[in-house]
Amino acid sequence: MIWHYLIRRLFLLSFVFFALTCFAFSLGHLFPGDPLVNFSGISQPDDELMPVLVQQYRLDDGYLQQYIAFLQRILQGDWGLSLASQQPVLHELKLVFPATLELVAYALLISFVLGVPLGLLAAIKANHWSGRAISTIALLGYSLPIFWWALLMIMLFSIGLGWFPTSGRISVLYEIPAVTGFMLPDILLSGQTYWQAALQDAIRHLWLPAFVLATYPTTVMIRFTRDAMLNVWQQSYIKTARAKGLSRSQVLYRHGLRNAMLPVMRQLGLQFSTLVTLAMISELIFSWPGIGLWLLDSINQRNYPAIQGGLLVISSLVILVNILMDVLHTLFNPLARKQANG
Amino acid sequence: MAKFQWLHQKTEHGPLSQLWDSFRQQHAAVVGLMLFGFFSLIALFGPLLTPYDPYLQNPDALLLPPSWDDLGDVRYLLGTDDLGRDQLSRLIKGASYTFGIALVTAIGALLFGLLLGVLAGMSKGFRASAFNHVLDLALTIPSLLLAIIIVAILGPGLVNTIWAIMLALLPQFVHGIRNTILQQLEQEYVIAYRLDGANNWQILRYVILPNTWEQLTVLFSMALSTAILDIAALGFLGLGAQAPAAEWGLMVADALDLIYLSPWSIALPGLLIFIAVLSVNLVSDGLRTAVRKRQEN
Repeated sequence: MIWHYLIRRLFLLSFVFFALTCFAFSLGHLFPGDPLVNFSGISQPDDELMPVLVQQYRLDDGYLQQYIAFLQRILQGDWGLSLASQQPVLHELKLVFPATLELVAYALLISFVLGVPLGLLAAIKANHWSGRAISTIALLGYSLPIFWWALLMIMLFSIGLGWFPTSGRISVLYEIPAVTGFMLPDILLSGQTYWQAALQDAIRHLWLPAFVLATYPTTVMIRFTRDAMLNVWQQSYIKTARAKGLSRSQVLYRHGLRNAMLPVMRQLGLQFSTLVTLAMISELIFSWPGIGLWLLDSINQRNYPAIQGGLLVISSLVILVNILMDVLHTLFNPLARKQANG
Repeated sequence: MAKFQWLHQKTEHGPLSQLWDSFRQQHAAVVGLMLFGFFSLIALFGPLLTPYDPYLQNPDALLLPPSWDDLGDVRYLLGTDDLGRDQLSRLIKGASYTFGIALVTAIGALLFGLLLGVLAGMSKGFRASAFNHVLDLALTIPSLLLAIIIVAILGPGLVNTIWAIMLALLPQFVHGIRNTILQQLEQEYVIAYRLDGANNWQILRYVILPNTWEQLTVLFSMALSTAILDIAALGFLGLGAQAPAAEWGLMVADALDLIYLSPWSIALPGLLIFIAVLSVNLVSDGLRTAVRKRQEN
């Protein structure tokens, strides 16, 4: 029965990808300028190249043929050239995408480590001053405009105290070849003599952006853990567990936390898209060479092939995470499983 | 001794005053509501209150700190920026931009969302399923990213930003309204009304819509805080309101080069964005709690 559900999700996924590629394709025509330039990224195709490209992109045919040709190019990895650098878009994406993933992953890690215990505490001590304080801080953090928060942190920790550098992933002193694209593993793999110093430097660069980006998901985590826990705590199975003679902490971890984490997990999937947007803004402020900074630069330069590629990658990531979280939620939650089948 | 009552006290009030009663008991929410009212008034009447023209440049008073600083000037209460424009006037004017336009955008998205949500909620079968899939797609693309893409197509500017954010807010409204309507359709009083011979339009007009306004307010307040943050963020990124405009996000971006010289010109507009969003979130949280309490009674 669960297969039925998985197949339906798979169908949804393919439909969403279809719609997404349609949207990306139509952007080539919607953007100002010549569709040929928007798709290929060759700013001034000469007379020899022009007919070849028109033939290859099937621009003389109807939209359907053009779309099929577009899909083929996407699958083959020919995403056009960046108008700004005349490098293949896919190649540039491969360089910047891991940096964003790294930043988002550390931010999520921080938010889990901080958010879940604080949310639990806020739920257990709901009427105590500590619980109220945590809820208040969560509400404050939830309302912060991230660009302002990032600048305040820079003013305090970089300019005021001088603890952390303001921009980049690592000091230019260290040369780390990109193997995986993720900085910390790359340093370990580089085998350079100065790897320890480089690692320290990279971590110093990571602190501030990761902390700023983690603020929003942490507060979301606190709010939802708290609400879910308060909700679960009123259920009769908690009373039953207490009546059986289980200790408070046993009830909390075995019966409370497990059930409370389900809605939190679902919310995490829904909030992931916001997190990616916030990552784009913090990348801009901290000059973090990720996909967000790259995409914003591309928008300012009217670099249409790059905008198209960046949109495709970011949306695919968000959609995949969303559907993955939904599937995991259904697999872990017997109630949702029943609903999905019935 | 308490007076004997046939009916429970609370049922004598209408739903609106019940809601207000439980809203009023939450002090934080009331403070939020007051701030919200304050910002709305400033956004409406701000241009009449500014001590100076927000765009008037005074070359004799560049980069003045706020007046409580030793170097400050009492004529410029919150100091001036690098072109000698009065910060206080610009911040007041900014309320009409950031807060006022966010309000208009959210109202527009609410109206469109109501229309589409009703269509989605009342339709059945293939149409409803196709609608769901499109909605799922639209919900996954981040609202700010969607706005950025739309601005990339239309070109930067405030009007384009309004359209972009309205479009980007639309999916969550449609989704929320559709779910509320579906929930309502399962209620027994709807079935009873249908058995009385009411058609779809009558059910919608007399039963469902009066029962959804609480949900609508909650949805609206959530969308409003997103709208404020998105307008400010787009302004900050240089995609929204353009250069001389006194939009708060744009003011933060303008002051970026002056981060060493005049940190207050970054701190103040950002603080206002923060307080505006906070007030909306306080009201939103208070409303949700009040709605829950009222429904439990």
